[in-house]
Amino acid sequence: MEPTEDQVYVIIFATIFLGGIMSTFVISMVFIHRQRQAQNLQKMDQVKSEHEKTLLNIENEIQQETLTHIGRELHDNIGQLLSLAKLNFGSIKPEKIAEGRDILGQAIQEVRGLSKQLNLDWVESISINEFIEQQLERIQNTGFCETSLDANFELIDLPKDRKLVLIRVIQESLNNALKHASPENILISMRENGESKQILIKDDGKGFDSSQKSNGSGMFNLKKRMETIGGEFNLTSSVGKGTEITLTLPN
Amino acid sequence: MDDRFVQAFSHWFTISSNLLLIIGVIYFIKLPKVKRANIHYWLIFLILAFNVGYETMGAYLNYNSEFNRSVNAYLGNTEYPRFNLWLFNIARRQVEVILYLLLIKSFLVPSMRKYIDRMILVFIPIVCILQFSGIEPLYLNQPIIFSIGANMILIGSGLYFIGLITEEQYLACDPLRLPSFWQMTFIMFTFTLTYISSVALMYLYQVNPVLGKALQDIGIALELLTLGVFTLSIASPLLPRIFEKEPSYGTN
Repeated sequence: MEPTEDQVYVIIFATIFLGGIMSTFVISMVFIHRQRQAQNLQKMDQVKSEHEKTLLNIENEIQQETLTHIGRELHDNIGQLLSLAKLNFGSIKPEKIAEGRDILGQAIQEVRGLSKQLNLDWVESISINEFIEQQLERIQNTGFCETSLDANFELIDLPKDRKLVLIRVIQESLNNALKHASPENILISMRENGESKQILIKDDGKGFDSSQKSNGSGMFNLKKRMETIGGEFNLTSSVGKGTEITLTLPN
Repeated sequence: MDDRFVQAFSHWFTISSNLLLIIGVIYFIKLPKVKRANIHYWLIFLILAFNVGYETMGAYLNYNSEFNRSVNAYLGNTEYPRFNLWLFNIARRQVEVILYLLLIKSFLVPSMRKYIDRMILVFIPIVCILQFSGIEPLYLNQPIIFSIGANMILIGSGLYFIGLITEEQYLACDPLRLPSFWQMTFIMFTFTLTYISSVALMYLYQVNPVLGKALQDIGIALELLTLGVFTLSIASPLLPRIFEKEPSYGTN
């Protein structure tokens, strides 16, 4: 074989070789893509089922709390009203009977109010701001501590499932503050910037060393729950300096 | 009509590429305004028009050899006055490489786009230095410039394929139904299969002209297939049963 002929063969085989490498490369990319796509789908299903599970747990917790609240209301409020009405109806005085009728009307109003709380439809009709205001008012009324809300936006347009999770996380964060921190003040501020919405829950209670790993699953659950709705949960605290929780939601 | 004129423009590649351009123009006009403003469509259309434009110009230079001779003489080439490599070098080995790199860039995740910008910024001065220093004159074969450009395109295609297997937006799609996948595959194949024949073009024509012509025909066929893919890509929004919508990173 002539040297030039050799070189021509090298050119032909090198071209075929490069073509082979490229074909293998493209085919492998398609296969890897298919594999990753399947893995991604599996991961998405897992996240979806985790999200559904979290949502179910939250609904159960809220219903449980609602039942406890209704039980208490029936015993302490409606029961008392009905007993009073019964006493008034037992009287022969017409003004007492009229008073009994008023009390009965009040009891009916209370029952209507309670029946609304039995399902979770109220979640849809309430904004996060209104919910926070209600919670802070409830805390303030107990006399445990002073509360305030400072918001530069109204959080209304959240889907019901995301709202439920957020409501539960806020409720749990406030409960934790009351239960463990004994604060004098609780401040909630809501801030929106171009990229995200933030809810800051700050108390001036006992605080704790947040750099220490906690044994409980409370904080972990709250973090997990925020992640299921695409948000973030951040906590900073130090002994004697209170606790600051930041809930971030993407815009 | 002049026989030489017919001969110059009756090559199967010239006819087929011009037909593809006409189809491409029709589909591009039929596209909604929003799609026409999208880089994935107007850049492809620009590349198609540019490609067919310079190939037709090449055919014209074969017909009007006087004009070709005067351009060659202006560039300092009196030895091979019939060569129209100057046009091929400017259009295919320089401008088209930049256009392909911009096309690849439009498909990349924003964090990877800087690599393409850097490649373009390196490519332009290298081409200028090699050309103006006389190492690779414009009127002769430019293997170094071609190999640098081809390697940049191959690296860019590699970045596209990395995105294809890692980015959520691409993982949600079927790659075989994505216009960008076929564009990248054909660009990659064209540059790979013509790599050696392009670098060794002059040598092959001297040693074995038949093989040189055969390898060049393979290159032309691949180029025509690439142009066909570009035409289909322009028409892709009007063919939703065949093609999927191109994923977007929201910055195109």
